[in-house]
Amino acid sequence: MAVYILRRLVSAIAVMAMVGIFVFLLLRLAPGDPAAMIAGRSATEEMLAGIREQLGLNEPLPVQFIRWLRDMLGGDFGTSIFAGRPVLELISQRLEPSLSLSILTMILSVTVGVSFGILAAWRTGGFLDRLLAAFSALGYSIPVFVIGYFLIYFFAIRTRWLPVQGYVPIDGGLGSWFAHLVLPTVALGLGHIAFIARVTRASMLEVLSEDYMRTAAAKGASSYAMLFHHALKNAGVPILTVIGISFAYLIGGVVLTETVFNIPGIGRLVVDAINNRDYPIIQGVVILTSGLYVLINLAVDLAYTLIDPRVRY
Amino acid sequence: MISRRNFFKAGIAVGTALSIPSVLRAQTSPTSGQTVSMATADIGIFDPILSTTEMTYDHALAIHDTLFGIDSKLLPQPQMVSKWGVSDDKKTYTFELRDGLRFHDGSPVTAADCVASIRRWGVADSGGQLIMARTRDISKKDDKTFTIDLKEPLGLLVDILASPSGLFPAIMREKDADRPPTEQVTSNIGSGPFKFNEAFAKPGASFVYERNEQYVPRKEPADGLAGGKSVNIDRAIWQVMTDQQTAISALQAGEIDYCPAPPADLYSVIDSDPKLELQVQNKAGKVYYLRMNFLQPPFNNVKARQAMLHLVDQEAFLSVMAPDSRYAHPVTSIFGNSAPYSNDENTGWFKKGGDPEKARQLFQEAGYAGEKVVILQPTDWQTGSTASQLLGAALRKIGVNVELAPMSFAELATRRANKGATEDGGWNMFISNDSDMSFGDPISVPFLRADGDKAWYGWPKNDEYEALRAKWADVDSFEERKALAHKMQRVWWDFVGGLMLGQIVSPIARRKTLTGLIELPVGYIPMWKMQKASA
Repeated sequence: MAVYILRRLVSAIAVMAMVGIFVFLLLRLAPGDPAAMIAGRSATEEMLAGIREQLGLNEPLPVQFIRWLRDMLGGDFGTSIFAGRPVLELISQRLEPSLSLSILTMILSVTVGVSFGILAAWRTGGFLDRLLAAFSALGYSIPVFVIGYFLIYFFAIRTRWLPVQGYVPIDGGLGSWFAHLVLPTVALGLGHIAFIARVTRASMLEVLSEDYMRTAAAKGASSYAMLFHHALKNAGVPILTVIGISFAYLIGGVVLTETVFNIPGIGRLVVDAINNRDYPIIQGVVILTSGLYVLINLAVDLAYTLIDPRVRY
Repeated sequence: MISRRNFFKAGIAVGTALSIPSVLRAQTSPTSGQTVSMATADIGIFDPILSTTEMTYDHALAIHDTLFGIDSKLLPQPQMVSKWGVSDDKKTYTFELRDGLRFHDGSPVTAADCVASIRRWGVADSGGQLIMARTRDISKKDDKTFTIDLKEPLGLLVDILASPSGLFPAIMREKDADRPPTEQVTSNIGSGPFKFNEAFAKPGASFVYERNEQYVPRKEPADGLAGGKSVNIDRAIWQVMTDQQTAISALQAGEIDYCPAPPADLYSVIDSDPKLELQVQNKAGKVYYLRMNFLQPPFNNVKARQAMLHLVDQEAFLSVMAPDSRYAHPVTSIFGNSAPYSNDENTGWFKKGGDPEKARQLFQEAGYAGEKVVILQPTDWQTGSTASQLLGAALRKIGVNVELAPMSFAELATRRANKGATEDGGWNMFISNDSDMSFGDPISVPFLRADGDKAWYGWPKNDEYEALRAKWADVDSFEERKALAHKMQRVWWDFVGGLMLGQIVSPIARRKTLTGLIELPVGYIPMWKMQKASA
């Protein structure tokens, strides 16, 4: 097991390195000019030339690459071209909102999604199954911004129960932190609930049709015992895989939700950086996100051993 | 039959559910009385000598002060300066600073700070470059006095120092101003009416400005960017909001007090909310204009450029760029609508525009033979993108072979520097904008240069016009300058250095509890004089 984990961690570094090189080249070869974004629409060519010189953007690509690689190996992700602050500082400022939103969304999605999936499988073909199928279809197909604006209108503007936008750190008060995350979590979670519910239902139905489930029923096992002790454990691997994928997707894929609810997270950081051609931030976020993806995949693989004793590394 | 235990469980659940909204409502109460929350864009660059973006200017306006400021009539007025004078030969300007000027770190503002700041600004700003080109020496006489010694008179010197159309002429500490103008000053220490709270700054999320208790406002009433900048609020929070729909929702819910750029399709929502108000704070708004590439066909031919004046129907462009006609106006003077130099010289022949037949005829006379005309379309700037599409459609209607090149502004900014042919990555047209007021300053505004290679993108060239423009800085009286403006405009519309698509004066949206906003001829956000009543 330890050797397996070590091997995966080494491969994570290789993946991050390859992603880093790819992103570096992609950004430099794509059209666009950070100097133009800094100087503004009415900038003159002299202003732009001066800024390019100052930022080292006039240097040959290999020189820029070697400098960047040297800094990266030293743990320096560089300084934002715009904010003039270290990239790691900016990322760490944005990590808490994104992680908070992602974790709350996963808690909501897993608890509700798995429950809905089990219920649908238990009452397959019945009214409840159809109702949950309809909910899943809607949850999966309505864009997050539509759900977001709808929730804002009813729960923030009409009733004033919850705030429209923004983020309050946990140390600013648990109640305030939670209140600011309720609507974004629901908006973002609906699609994930639908996805997890569909996969759980399909996986459960497959297991419920197995011979050993019929045997358990013949032996007089209760519905609860059959569903949760026998079926869910055996249906767990695909469900866990989906949960892992969803979580990894959430970390970097919450741009729309962060925009609609004005949450200053990683998603918005990287989108703003792309618009501004702030190369160091884009590179830093992409490299760290790729590392996180690898770690989440590793955690999911390890979690398989907990629910399926046949899986060994 | 429900059991007693289940009854109690249900009761607790219902009670909890009912109490949650009131608990949460406390989290959404409006911002406190002395704190104003404003939706803004991200600042990005904090150094006003490095960027022409509005957010950088707004930031500078809050924390820095200037030697002079323009009033609501666009006339320069002393700001940090208490007294100033010019020698009889008009070559030596002497400036004396007001008493009580201090930087936010407590150090006094001295003449040495002013000298260093002018020198740094003078390298980067086009108006400043003119001053520096005429300057023999800028020197400190004592802690409060400095002089600018000129090689030859420059009647426009004080106007340039007050002009908000170029880079913000912030007076910084000498140690900051000694940096090269291409190296960003990030100390954010100024002597203006607000202090930047560095500890609360979250780039991309929010910025906090505190009232500068040490600031000594001028005695005169606030007027434009001049007069007493007395502050009535304790704190201003700028919340970076990229989604304007969310910003308006937050305004309706009382989470913010001010939204600088509400989308036009939500004006009716704001109008119908009794707690909100639209207000035209920037009286002059922005002028949208078209740049044509003088170096490449067909616009290297004056007939093709004149054809564009006949083709462009400003009413049509304004209807797509500013759907609410209350805030849209045609503009035909190269000096915009609000500058005192705005005039009608040589505009009669094209004023109405929207004459495709005349445009088609002029394109033919220009020898247009169906070559590709590339329009750079900035897709991340909605107004510019929509106007580019309309422009393309209008040209296609008269048989021009148009290619819209959709791209981000960052790409556009790179490509517009390409002077080559379209097949080599060049271009023919793009749309941009600038504040209407800035067109009254032909020294600083890039649009109004026509000195070929030295001119802004499109590189218009006309020696007669440039000879007239060169006189602008030397003309002493307002009347003489007005006469010169007529001459410049007559020549400009003959060779068509560029053309206007219209003026838009977008309103801001605010809660009615926020009052005292200063109305300006520029699109910046001064925060002094703002007051906030309890909700």
